[in-house]
Amino acid sequence: MKTNPVYRREMTVASRSLRMPLIITVFNCILAAVALLNMYSNVMQVRLTADIQYGSFLQLYEFAADIEFIMLMFIMPAITSGTISGERERQTLDLMLTTEMKSWEIVGGKLAASAVTIFLVVGSSFPLIALVLVYGGITGRDMLYMLLCFVVTALFTGGLGICFSSLFKRSTVSTVAAYGALAFLVAGTLAANSFALSMARMDLNQAGYTAGIIGSQTANSGALIYTLLMNPAVTFMVILQGQTASGSGGILEMYGTREPNLILDHWILASSAVQLLMASLFLVIAVKMLRKKGIGRNA
Amino acid sequence: MLEIRGLKKKFGKYQVLNSLDMTVPSGALYGFVGPNGAGKTTTIKVMVGLLAPDEGTVRLGERCLGEEGWREKIGYVPDYFGVYDNLKVNEYMEFFAACYGMEGLKARRRCSALLEQIGLEDKADFYVDGLSKGMQQRLCLARALIHDPELLILDEPMGGLDPRTRFEFKETLRELRDQGKTIVISSHVLSELSELCTDVGILDQGRMALNGNIKDILSQVNSSNPIVITLFGGGRDKALALLKSHPYVHTITVRGDEIAVRFTGDRQDEAVLLQQLVDAGLLISSFTREQGSLESLFMQITGREEERTVMKYENESGL
Repeated sequence: MKTNPVYRREMTVASRSLRMPLIITVFNCILAAVALLNMYSNVMQVRLTADIQYGSFLQLYEFAADIEFIMLMFIMPAITSGTISGERERQTLDLMLTTEMKSWEIVGGKLAASAVTIFLVVGSSFPLIALVLVYGGITGRDMLYMLLCFVVTALFTGGLGICFSSLFKRSTVSTVAAYGALAFLVAGTLAANSFALSMARMDLNQAGYTAGIIGSQTANSGALIYTLLMNPAVTFMVILQGQTASGSGGILEMYGTREPNLILDHWILASSAVQLLMASLFLVIAVKMLRKKGIGRNA
Repeated sequence: MLEIRGLKKKFGKYQVLNSLDMTVPSGALYGFVGPNGAGKTTTIKVMVGLLAPDEGTVRLGERCLGEEGWREKIGYVPDYFGVYDNLKVNEYMEFFAACYGMEGLKARRRCSALLEQIGLEDKADFYVDGLSKGMQQRLCLARALIHDPELLILDEPMGGLDPRTRFEFKETLRELRDQGKTIVISSHVLSELSELCTDVGILDQGRMALNGNIKDILSQVNSSNPIVITLFGGGRDKALALLKSHPYVHTITVRGDEIAVRFTGDRQDEAVLLQQLVDAGLLISSFTREQGSLESLFMQITGREEERTVMKYENESGL
């Protein structure tokens, strides 16, 4: 089987850079320090009280998962948003486009190289996270779910980055635009739901006063809740809260109570599907725009 | 043979290519010249498939632009190097070989052969961004040849190269032409093109002003150039009287002992004129047809011939 030439070249160049070993080292050092401190505090507590708090081991898992997810959300767009525009800036994109390489092969190679790079970091931390398996509470299946969530998030944020990289001529502009779009999708959807919920509560309170009863319990953000399907952070929180039973109530319940339906009952699956669909859409746009000159560039 | 017919391309309101027709014979080394903004790079980008034309056709042999396998037939050297950081010369070559579907031993052999051909075999393990400008340009040429294309298109390839590197680059192009490759080369160094190319096309304002074999074109230019006669020991009035009465003489320009004559006769008529001047007892120290050059032709076509004429002839007088 032939390896994608773009992927192979990216990996060759990345393997020569000190950036990735440094990120892996620093990231794992932080995780190791947290794991050791966590275990030390548990051991100390056992010595003092003879009480083993198994729940505290889950904090290590939560911490590691949070860090990894944040890394995916923040590093993946940074890596991918300069891929195509970087080639334009180096004037190497035209050279590739005059070869027999298909546009989707170029975009695919770029995405694969970025995803492999980020998963190298995520994968390197798994032995540390596996410490929680020793004490129980988190199963291998839970970790597999989390890994799948990471894969979907990486594809989503990576696709978004490549899409903007293909749209804009300059890497700095595409990076800013990619982060802007990501902030809109993550913080924007949450803010929109909060706003809709507040409005609904105000309406209900007004109606309650009119009717002589105070009722804010049934208020919710309405159909806007489904915009959260596009939000990878919500999917991650739903998975994590399901696994560790942390926090007071689920993230979706924060925006009001609802009658159960197919989407709400299978939120993880539905949101993953929506995000994968959006990632595909981003990649299609990137492929289509690859042979255009990019915004901000004359012919 | 590369054939372009009725090619049009517009950017906004600016019509860059205006029904461009161009023919490049197989095996030709074709000089593609024109003033800045004439549309050379746009034409080249259309030829290599980087820009879509608004109208017109581009054919290479039996194949039309955009058809499957078009890119396989074309090698492109742009007016920039396009190199990657942290990539070695052999990796750079193998990457582009892989872009054409060549992998493994076949690709490595092809890369080695090309690096040897362009004299970079000892630089195979060097980083591309560490090579000199001349070496990078030669590497770009080798990259464009990786898939053994039928047509090689070079856009201003010798810009910024030192004289020795230019010479070596031209030698490589001649070798490639001898191997049967069709080469289109755009350049502003017209003297170099005239000694290198077999055919030439002069582009002006998006149209092909002149297209054909360079020898034929220059011989036509030569025949329209003046004959410069240098007299030895006086006799100018006698010579002028004889020239004025000659049926093939159209204009006479005098500058010191030199007389420039626009003469429409053929080579035999030229010889007869010389004989007549000698028979009239005039001492002729030189009698030569002024040689035309691609540069003078370019200036004529692009509308700057008058400047040259004024500079060259001080006392022009019509008959």
